[in-house]
Parts: sequence; C-alpha cells; structure tokens
Amino acid sequence: MSATRIETWQSPATRPASVGQSIPRKEDGRLLKGQGQFADDVWMHRMGHVHFVRSPYAHAEIVDVDVSKALAVEGVYATLTGEEVRQLTDRYTQIAPEPGGRAKDFAMAVGKVRYQGEPVAAVLAESRELARDAAALVEVEYARLPHVLEAVQAADDESPRVHTEMGSNVGWHGVYDFGDVDWAIERADHVVRIPRLHFHRFSSTPLECNAAVVNWDPGTGTIQIDSNNQMPQFAALFMAPALGVRSDQLMFRSQDIGGAFGLKLTSYTYLTALALLSRKAGRPAKWTEYRHEHLIGSCHGNERTFLDIEVPVMADGEILGFKANAFDDVGAFMRYEPLGGVIFSQVLPGCYRFKHLQVDYKSVVTNKTPVGPNRGYSRLQHLWLVERIVDLVAAELRFDPVELRKRNYIRRDEFPYTTPNGCVYDSGDYHAMLDRALELVDAPRWRAAQQAAEGTGKRIGIGIGSTLDSGTSNFGQARIINKNLPFSGNGEAAICKIDLQGEISVALGTVPQGQSHETTTAQVVADVLGVTPGEVLVRPGADSARNAYVAFSGTYASQFAVTGIGAALGAAERVKADLLTVAAAVLESTPDELLLVGGTVSVEGDEDRALTFAEIANYVYANQGALPPEVADAVTLNHRHVYRAPFGVPDWKSKSGSLTLTYASQIHVCVVEIDEETGQTRILDYSAVDECGTPINPQVVEGQVHGAAAHGIAAALQETLDYDEDGQLLNGTFWDYHVVSCPDTPMFKTDNLPCPSPFTPTGSKGMGEGGGAPLHAVCSALQDALRDTGAVVTDSHNPTERVWRLLNGDERAADGGRGIAVTSR
Amino acid sequence: MSDSAHPIEVVVNGERHESVVLGRQLLVHYLRETLGLKGTHIGCDSGNCGACTVIVDGKAVKSCMQLAAQADGREIETVESLSEPLGPPDRLQASFTRHHALQCGYCTPGMLMSATALLREQEAPGEDEIRRGLKGNVCRCTGYVNIVRAVQDVAGTLPEDYDGHTA
Amino acid sequence: MLLPELEYIRPATVAEAIDALAAERNARVLAGGQTLLNALKLRIVHPAALVDVSRLEELRQVAEEPDGTLRLGAALTYDELAGNALVRERHAVTAAMTSRIVDRQVRARGTLGGNVCLGDPTSNFPPLLVALDARLVVQGPAGTREIAAEQFYLAPYMTALEPGELLTEVLLPPLADGEAVGYESLQVGIDSWALARASALVRVQSRDGNGSGTITAARVALGCGPVPVRQPAMEAALIGGPATRDAIAAAAKLAGEAFDPPADVHATAQYRTAMARVMARRAVISAATTKEA
Repeated sequence: MSATRIETWQSPATRPASVGQSIPRKEDGRLLKGQGQFADDVWMHRMGHVHFVRSPYAHAEIVDVDVSKALAVEGVYATLTGEEVRQLTDRYTQIAPEPGGRAKDFAMAVGKVRYQGEPVAAVLAESRELARDAAALVEVEYARLPHVLEAVQAADDESPRVHTEMGSNVGWHGVYDFGDVDWAIERADHVVRIPRLHFHRFSSTPLECNAAVVNWDPGTGTIQIDSNNQMPQFAALFMAPALGVRSDQLMFRSQDIGGAFGLKLTSYTYLTALALLSRKAGRPAKWTEYRHEHLIGSCHGNERTFLDIEVPVMADGEILGFKANAFDDVGAFMRYEPLGGVIFSQVLPGCYRFKHLQVDYKSVVTNKTPVGPNRGYSRLQHLWLVERIVDLVAAELRFDPVELRKRNYIRRDEFPYTTPNGCVYDSGDYHAMLDRALELVDAPRWRAAQQAAEGTGKRIGIGIGSTLDSGTSNFGQARIINKNLPFSGNGEAAICKIDLQGEISVALGTVPQGQSHETTTAQVVADVLGVTPGEVLVRPGADSARNAYVAFSGTYASQFAVTGIGAALGAAERVKADLLTVAAAVLESTPDELLLVGGTVSVEGDEDRALTFAEIANYVYANQGALPPEVADAVTLNHRHVYRAPFGVPDWKSKSGSLTLTYASQIHVCVVEIDEETGQTRILDYSAVDECGTPINPQVVEGQVHGAAAHGIAAALQETLDYDEDGQLLNGTFWDYHVVSCPDTPMFKTDNLPCPSPFTPTGSKGMGEGGGAPLHAVCSALQDALRDTGAVVTDSHNPTERVWRLLNGDERAADGGRGIAVTSR
Repeated sequence: MSDSAHPIEVVVNGERHESVVLGRQLLVHYLRETLGLKGTHIGCDSGNCGACTVIVDGKAVKSCMQLAAQADGREIETVESLSEPLGPPDRLQASFTRHHALQCGYCTPGMLMSATALLREQEAPGEDEIRRGLKGNVCRCTGYVNIVRAVQDVAGTLPEDYDGHTA
Repeated sequence: MLLPELEYIRPATVAEAIDALAAERNARVLAGGQTLLNALKLRIVHPAALVDVSRLEELRQVAEEPDGTLRLGAALTYDELAGNALVRERHAVTAAMTSRIVDRQVRARGTLGGNVCLGDPTSNFPPLLVALDARLVVQGPAGTREIAAEQFYLAPYMTALEPGELLTEVLLPPLADGEAVGYESLQVGIDSWALARASALVRVQSRDGNGSGTITAARVALGCGPVPVRQPAMEAALIGGPATRDAIAAAAKLAGEAFDPPADVHATAQYRTAMARVMARRAVISAATTKEA
C-alpha cells in the first residue's frame, strides 16, 4: 500500500495550529441550553402519530390481522399491515449472498413473525395517545411455531427454520485459514484447548431512541425524512428499491442525534413503514420509539459463541496462533450481516504476531431481535476471544500475563505490519502502551494489595485488555462475504464554501451523534484558511439536499478523523486555491507570494497589499466584471471534495487484503475487587492508554476513550440481553437492563501515546469505537482474582451471581471438568 | 374510563401559565408539547434515565414520572432557565464545556438540572457525593468522568493536582 | 410511554380521599407515583381513577408518642423522612437507608406509603418494617385499624389493604435500651436493583466496646422474596447466644426459612437464598456491633 499524505498539509508557516488543541466544542452552546434539535423535536403541520403493534411471540404464523376496530376509532388516519407492506414494497436487498440472501425481509412481518417485538401492524392517529389506544384494538391471530434461540443449536440442520426459503439457519459460512494451524498444533510444545467461550448479547442503548417524521409529498414525490438515522445514504440504498422510488426522492435531514453507536443504522425498516403510512394518509407520519420498543424491536449487538478453540504455544511463550469455530447469532434478519463475518478479520491476530490462524465463521439466524453494528462491531467479539486466549494460556501454562503479551505483541519496529491475512497495521507501540497503562494504576501497589487481601474475604485481580480499533474500512471487504457486491474503497465528501460576505462554512457527509465533528472540522479548516475555528461554521447534521455525500457517508467504523477530515481538508484546500487565484489577480501578484492570515490574503512582505475574504467574495459573487474572465470562470469559492482512501480490491478467494486503513489501539488495565461471599465485583482502579495517531482535539479523543470504556465495563458487569425459553426478552426496560450509572463507573486514568499514521492526511487515525478493551480487561482481572480456584472465565458477561458461581466451582463445563485442557509434548 | 380535564396554574421558568391538562398527561409532555420547552428530553419512559429531569419547587424530579395535573401550583425550572437563550452560559454550563462533559448532548439538560439542584443543596460536594447525586441521570457517551469533573469544578472540589486529565 | 385514559382526583382531606376511593371501586391511590406511573405506562394496571394523596398535610407529619413511638405520615417523601431530625435521631439506620433509595429524583417524589403499599418484593421498607415490628395505620369507610407490618404482606403486590382503604401512618416503636438495627442489601450497581435484602433488630445485653455481650432479643426479616419473612429459627439461635461474629454466622446458616425467592433474569432462587443468608448475617452483625445502641 502506498502512503498518501496530502502534501499541502505540511506547509504554511503562518498556520496558528488549531489542530492539536483541546478547543471548546462548537456544538456545546445549543446543547447546553436545551436548544439542540433532536428527531423527536421535529413537529410538522397536520402530522399523525404512529404506534406499532408488535409480536408477542418469538416465532409464529400470522393467521389474520384485523385492523377494522382500530380504523373505526375517530381520529385514526390509517393503518398498515405486513400484508400491505408486501404488496406495496419489494423485499429489501440483502448484503448476504445465498442462502442468507434469500431471506424475505420487509419493513414489517410478512406471513410470520420471527422475534418477539417484530412489528406486525401500525396505526397512524391524531395523537400519540390515540395511536396507542387504537393499536390495542388491532386483532392479530397467531399460530405458534417452534423457535430457536441459540446459534450453535440453530446451525444444526434439525432446528426450526427462521427463514424457510434459506433452507438453513446458517445465513453465511466462511473459513479464514492463514498459515498452517494444524502444522503449528502438531509442532507446538503445548496446546491449550478451550471447548467454549461465549460473548454475550448487549446494546450500548443510545439515550435517544429512534425517532422520525416522514412526509411523502404527493405533489413533488419528495419523501422528506427527518430522523436520527445515522447513515442515511446507506438507508437509501435499501429503501429506494424497496419503495420503488428514485434514491433522490428520499430527502434525509437531521440535526442533533442523541447517540447511536451503530444501532441507528438499520432503522430504515421503520422509516419505510412511516413512508407508506404517510403516503396512505396524505400527512406526515411521526414515530418516536419507546425505550421498551428500542430494546425489543430495534437491534442488539452481536452475540458470538466460540467452540473448540485450540492454541499452539511454544515453551518460551510464543503463541503460534489459534483455531476456533465461531457461531455469530445475528437474530431474526441478516440485514447488515454477514458483514460481521468479514469485519472481525480486520483484527484477526489482534495485537499479536500470530502466524497461524483459522476461524470457521457462521452467521446464524435465530428467533431473537436482529443485530446491528454496535460500537466495536464484530472486532470486539473477536478481540475478546484473542484476549481470553492469551490470558488462559498465561493462566494454564503459568506465564506472567504481562510478559506473555509482550513476548507476542507486534513490535514497534515492525510497523507497518502485514498480518497473515494481508491487513496492514499502520503504526503502534503496544509494549510502551502496556507499560504506561500498568504505570498509571501503579500495578506493583495492587500486586501487594492482592497479597494482603488473601484471607480477608476479598480478592483482588489485575487484568489487561489489549485491543485494536480498526478504522476506515475498505468496502471491498464486502466481496469476501459476497463476491458479487460491487463495492470497494472508502471515501467521504464535504463541501467548503465562502459566502457572500466572506463567511466560511462546511457541510459534511458524516452524520455525527456526539463525536464533535463540528469542532474538529472547524479546527482543520481554520488551519488551512488561516482563521480561527470560531470563524468556520460547520453545518450540523444530515441534509440530502445541502450536504455532499458518498454511498457510505456516515459516522461509524472509527473513520471520521481520516475520511471526514480528509474530505473537509480537501474542500478547504480547493477554496483556498480560489482565494489565492482571485487575490493574485486583483493584487497583481502570484499565489505563491500570498499569505492567508486572519481572514485576509496579503502579499508576503508587503502586507498593505491585501484583500479580505469579504472583498474576494464580493469579486466572485457580485463583481465578476472586475475580474479577468479566465479568473472569473475558474473560481467558485464553493467546493465539494471527496476524500478517497487508498484501497484496492481485496481478494475474495483467499479472504485477504488491506481491509482497513488505520489501526488505533487501546491497552487497558483494570483492577477489580471481588467480595467472596456475594461475588460482587468493584472496580478499584482503571487505566486506558490510547493510540490514535495525531489527535486533532485531545480532549475529544479522551472523551471517546471514556465513553467506550464505560460501555465495555457496563457490558462486562451489568448489561445483558437475555431471553427466556419462550423467546421473551427479559430485559425490555431500563429496570431490567441495568445501564451503568454515575456511581458505578470509575475515574478512568488515561493517556495517549501518538504514533502518527503514515497513511492518512493528518497522521490521525479513526478512533472512538474502541475494541471492547474493558470487556477483556474485566474478564482478565476476574480471571486473575480467581487464579487459585481453577475457575475459568468463559463468558464476557459476569454479573455478581456468575462470579459467585465461579468462586464456588459451579460454572463447570458440561462434562463437569474445568472446560480447559493442556497437552504438552 | 375517561380522561378528566384539569385546570392547572404553574410557574415555569418564572412565567405563569394557566392550562387545562388531561388526567393522563405527563408533566414532560406538558413541558415539551404544550409549552414547547424541548430542552427536556425523554430517554427511557420508565424513570430510570433522568433525561427528563426538571426542578420542581427546588427539588430535581423526573418529569416523566409525574402527571401534569400534579404540578398544579408548583414552580418549575427547566434547562431553558439556566441562561438566556442568546446570552452567555451559566457557571455550570460553562464548566460542562470546559471539561467536555457532553458529547451527543441528549442527557445534558437533565444532567444540568440534577447538578444544579445538587449544588444548591450542598455546599461543596466531593466526587462521591456528586456521583451519588447524579445517580438518577444516565449518560451513555461520557462514562461520567468529565461530568463529575465539571460539577466538581463549580463546587470547588477538583483535586488539587488535577491537570485536565484523569491520571 | 403514555398512560391509559384515567380520571385524576385530588382530595383536600383524608376523609375526602376515603370518599373518593369508596365512590370509585376501581380507583388507585397516587402518592409519589414513582412506581405506579410505570405500571400505568406499561398498562399492567387499569384504574379508572387516581386519587392523589401526595399533598394531604395530614399524611405528611412526623410525630412522637409519649412512649417514643414515631408516627410517620404515609405521604412523607423519602427525602423528608431521611432529613427529619426525629427520624435521624431515633432511627438512624432507617434514615440512612432512606437516604440511599434509588436516586435523588426518586427520593424527592417517592413516599413511604407508596413503598409500603406497593408490595414489590424488592422494595426497601418491607423487611425493615417487619424487623422493627412496625404497625401500619389504615383508614377506610369502616374506620381506622392497625395492621402489624408482619401481617401486611400477603403475596407480591398484594397487601392486607382492603378496597377503599388508605394507609395513613407507619408507627415505628421506639428502640429499647441495648437495641439496634441492621439493614443490608445486595444490589446490581450502586443503589440499584436489589437481589437480596435483610434487616435485623437485635438487643444485646452487657454490650462492651467490642460488640460482645449476649443477644437477648432478635427479629430478622428477609426481603426480595415474595413477601418479607421473619426468620424464627435464626432468631432462636441468636437469642441467648453471644453477640460475636462466629455465633451470628452460625445462626445465619438457619436463615432462608419460608423464603421461597423468585428466579428471574436478575438472579436464581438458589443465589437469592444464599445471599439472603449473607445479608441476614451482616445485618445482625451490624446491629450487634453498633456502639450507639
């Protein structure tokens, strides 16, 4: 891969360098005053309110839907049933090839329901209260079908079929095989075998639920969608063919989004239903999801079960690699899947120099809520596997977990490092990061405390989580799961312009949800144009009519600092070139003699010869006759730029190639204390060392680190989405889904050790998702605390009762053994 | 069953309002929809997340866990009262910006109202008191660290060696 | 989420409240609403009317009887209880427990009476009131009666309140010389969902600074089961024994009698029972080693 720095970035000596400063956020003013505009804040004249009728069953045939009683209620404008959806739309395009691609996926349940909470019918009424009251009058007759709730079981041919037309519940199956793991197992000094590890289902539950107002205007055909969907063009790719409309009829708009974490990406099913209701009733249709609906009916993070893990290890601690069978539970519909089936392979060996890797991966449908790409998507599940492997190898073979990691980490001088599957890790220094993370918690102090705690009823454990946050995906990797998908590369678009009186503005294709894009974009653009960030208006939110975009525009997969910033930077450079062209003509100078300082273009060494941006704008907008024609024709002060990440097309046959551009890394150290009597776990200390290249705004970077750390801790100890035997979600409200609160989280100790990326415009790397480091670190710390009990931490979720059972020897493998075996030569 | 209608008189952000509300109407919907004060948000519908927190007669309460009719005769403060719409932020708002205590901003109005009530009730709350004081407000973006720091800053209880990081 | 249609009634006196409850059989008492409104939003209760008693001054008093019994108005909020000087002085453990219920917003609205009458197995007050041998004063069309806390809870969400009756006061008997209270909870997260609770009232004679002495009376109640339950076997084992950790731990092994906790998404019954024993032991130790008693 070639390094593609934009050369102009390096130069201007006069640059006041806003980049690298923790300037206060531009977003904050309105958000702090309650002046943000979120999706539920949008009200339209004549709009109706939607309530969805949802399936009470995990799997059932829909025998009959009778909406007549609801329709008879005064004030009910329209209803919509799955059967109508089937008539009015085409099934959604699937990313999955066959057999997963054969699934019939519509905006609402058609023919049968496949998970509890699936929308079956909808009511549009004059008030939200009335819509809910009337929805209670919709009568649905079901005939229950046998269901399947667990991926390994669902993959069995004898299991009930979630989608009959798929012929199997395995929507996609692929084997990633690099090096020669069987040979490695043969020659290794030790082989550690772990029969089963389970990564649980949870969701980062953005505080704002899904919401939208959709208005299908019959006059123009415009379908105005004011929503908090986080990736509108991606939604349009699915919605336009399903609705049979032009993609440019779908006009997405948003301003502020109350968090998304990947979970507001697949809301297009609901947006489709709202569009149909709006068309039917001839009025805007508004829907704001209740939290209960969000938990049962939007999407969850991927649950993954790993079976038959084998790890060849040499006597000196060199881990040669591993093999594992992964069963990814994607819930009732494939939708964004099986992208998870390739995205994990961006970090196939984790932070390690493993050479022999084999993962047999199945995307399996079950009668549970569909999954969506939750923060750390697909990498965190895999990285958790890798970190469990390293910890269990350390525990079983009595290596020091720190030394074992250092023995196997990729070394600083090996970057750019090409993994066995062809991914190129751009930069990093994992050894230094681990040292720093241990230093931040003063690890020796905790080792002493651990000793001192023995016999007191408390146990202390120290754990490590080393992870990667791969960012800027090469969409060509989609071909690895479906060779017919015509995707490759990645990019982002932005528009930079200077307006009538010299005002600078930027419109982004990204749709941020708290990631501070207005601020960091202003910093970068300000530096290019020689002004302060305060002078750069970055227009918030999505607007299909206003903003530039590419198909994969959006905020996801830790990429903004590369793609979004790259686009804004490029657009600003083009505007700068226009400024220089006009100024050179008017000032009778040449562009290379000119300086941009404080909103003025002046001749270097002769500062009296100068034009303000306002004066230049006046020439371009209102005084073109005064410019030489060749200049007037060449400048616009309004530029769209597309940043293109330097990717080729990966090889779908070998499942290898450069899948992501940057590899931010995080190394976390967690110290836990377990109360032996109850299993209650407290975090006593926590450090998070981050590396994401050159930070544009260090405070913003640190904020993302905190957020990702809290999500991981929450998932490791409190948050889980569990189903009972009937397929009923047991955590359908925030009473049962135990979101972490302020007293539950520690004061994270953070540091950042930048290793600039050689591959990106600013040396920055995408970041923010994190690689689920706290899940790994908490499990690792629990394992350490339990070290003399023989217990094995095999689940990513460890609430008090599970810890208590581990302590009491209750969490045994099916055969009653410890569930882990070592063979040594 | 039928909804009863109730005349209520409330003072919201210093302004007196006389309205007629339905028996089943929640205070949060009265504030957002009847009065158009959309700074108060809804995050969970079940009284767990605190995004709807407002101050009623000096106490922080969740406006989704109270009927509008129950607010009759009460004095209510919402996030819109903390500073003028076009004016400078108040001390706490300014501290939130300084410490990067908000990301998506959805929980922020409720968080500010809880913290405002806390700071009025307690002289100089320390980290533990602030954490407990904000227990009823969920933030999914910040991990709470910077929120606690921002409130500590106003309370004057930031650690002496605090350097803008948490190390 | 939205409530079903309902009538809202705000009586001016307790008598009016009783009348309103008598007039509409399908009426529910609304106090702080911190749980009832959720039940309404989820539409798992369907009252025709809500009778709001939260402002009735008669229900918002704290008074002390000549014998030291505290009369606590049912509509007192947790904040008011936790901050009340008499409560803090006479029942410090009760005040401290109350000051940590859920969160500040809930404490500003939630009431003693609501907590007591809901009959939610995880509620804070029921095991405490059983341990304290509290009495509940209820008024109805037929007049006023007192119910011992121990007799009040019949099943989850079912109490001895008859239709039309209103809890008006909770009577806390005074702590005798040598008596102290313990209250322990195991929760998911800080001050969140409870998995196990236990409360103990213990009298220790010739208590010295180290908390040793002889236990002469004990009432231990477990929470988080279907109803709060006394633990007679554990109590019997405690009484007459030394107030030492070992003796208390031995007695606590007998806790779990008639407990029958639920198994749900939060915990198994086996774990809840084991934890109830731990909490019972800790509650007794905490009470037996309280120096102020």
